[in-house]
Amino acid sequence: MGGFDLREVIGRYGTAIAGLVLVLFFLLFAPNFASTMNIINVLKDTSFLAILALGFALAFTVAELDLSIAEMASLAAVVCGWMVHSQYPPAAAVGAALAVGIVLGSLNGYGVTVLRIPSLIMTLGTAAIAKGLAFMITQGVAFTGRWPVSFTGLARGYTFGLPNLVLWMTGATLFAWLLVKWTRTGAHMVATGEADEAARLAGIATARMKRIGLLLAGVFAGLMAALLAANLSSAAPNMAGDYLLYAIAAVLLGMTMFEPGKPNIPGTVFAALVLKVLGNGLVLLGAPYYIQDIVLGVIIIGSVAFSASAMKKAAFKV
Amino acid sequence: MSDLAPLLSLRGIGKSYGPVVAVREVDLDIFAGEVVAICGDNGAGKSSLIKVISGAEEPTAGAMSMRGEPVSFGSPHDALEHGVATIYQDLALAPRLSIAQNVFMGSELTKPVLLPFLRVLDKKRMIAESQRYLSQLSAAVTDMTRPVERLSGGQRQAVAISRALRWNAEVIIMDEPTAALGVKESALVLDLIRKLKADGRTVILISHNMRDVVALADRVVIMGAGRKYVDRPIGDLKADDIAHMIMAGNARAA
Repeated sequence: MGGFDLREVIGRYGTAIAGLVLVLFFLLFAPNFASTMNIINVLKDTSFLAILALGFALAFTVAELDLSIAEMASLAAVVCGWMVHSQYPPAAAVGAALAVGIVLGSLNGYGVTVLRIPSLIMTLGTAAIAKGLAFMITQGVAFTGRWPVSFTGLARGYTFGLPNLVLWMTGATLFAWLLVKWTRTGAHMVATGEADEAARLAGIATARMKRIGLLLAGVFAGLMAALLAANLSSAAPNMAGDYLLYAIAAVLLGMTMFEPGKPNIPGTVFAALVLKVLGNGLVLLGAPYYIQDIVLGVIIIGSVAFSASAMKKAAFKV
Repeated sequence: MSDLAPLLSLRGIGKSYGPVVAVREVDLDIFAGEVVAICGDNGAGKSSLIKVISGAEEPTAGAMSMRGEPVSFGSPHDALEHGVATIYQDLALAPRLSIAQNVFMGSELTKPVLLPFLRVLDKKRMIAESQRYLSQLSAAVTDMTRPVERLSGGQRQAVAISRALRWNAEVIIMDEPTAALGVKESALVLDLIRKLKADGRTVILISHNMRDVVALADRVVIMGAGRKYVDRPIGDLKADDIAHMIMAGNARAA
């Protein structure tokens, strides 16, 4: 660009800087926030949210909303938990969780591109189906027990001194970032999301790109589910439901930073961290639990208002 | 310099939408390197004809050939692969993406990393080549990472034309390229068309602006009621003459 444009810097990094300030604030004022234990816990907690939100961001990159991510994750966790519970090898259980994501993600893609159902409706339907299936499989109770370390270690273990969860999050982030920023498929996904008609005229297989975006949302939900089950040594049919709003908030808040107005990978992950730090810090400061929901709602609305005004146009056509 | 054989040839082209006949029995030869203006009132059939040539719609009658080989375009992208590019007003650009991303949309350049089959986007080369196309068109834009929405109307046309050049299109269809532009921007676009012609490209220009037509075209084709009824070199025709011919055509069609 050349030259230093303060407005540009604030537009790009304003909320990211605000997030850093928030972290500093809690470091200084929230009791025990700065303990290694707490920081590791926040990072682990962030991993689940970030991985799920990355899937939502990839679907949003092709201009589709995937509201089924959380219920897909619940179902995948239950299937995964049932397999571990029934003493199948952990690899098979993880594979099954991913398979649930692949099947439901493909179903979403089929509904949106072939049956031409708006993603908002299609994924709500898928969410309801996944939820029902999860309760059907468990009959309403949770699978728990002393699961093998070879499974739980996926989430609870450490590699090279780093929590495995953080490594999974890093891997998922790198994969998503490389895909979107450095591959032709990614460029085609971005073009499809930005200007469907223009992309089609340029010969891009836009329907295929939409299917890929929704498929990946399912795969990321499956991965998150396996890690969640491994971390908790249990799988309940409603275990990921609460993550939906947080994931949406992470993606929207992420759209206020780095590449304002566009769903973007670094923004999503950083926003997931900010949300988790905020939640954790509020708890440590003794704020009542329901404050978190209110703050979450304000962040969702505020992010979109901020991006929209930053872009000086309503780019949020869904 | 034009060969005797036409580059693009239409024979008996017809296009009906149910009972409505938009284009009837149009024969048209387009020769390499010429600028052909297609004129006519609203509803004369020129848009429908252009849609057929650009691959947006398939004709209901007749046949097309390029360099003597029969062709049929199933989609605009199909036409593009045959070297026929259409510059749509704004439709074909992604406003929030960069110039380079727009020029190379759908035909991104890649380079291998680590292993021969692992290919990543070659952003540097795409930026450099976008710059080359745009300077070729003398468009005064230097930052290829700028989003297209921050460009002027004329510059956007230059970006759209750059994409056609990227595909090495021989025939470039421009549908009302100056309709939404101010005087200065229009001049820029007219210059772009001259550059394309100087570069040996063939331009099909649809325009309501008779002055543009007289200034740029080698040949004028006038449509009325779906038929082609004038097809002649511009020669010393004036803008008014063309306007009269269009009105005469309307009178005859009525």
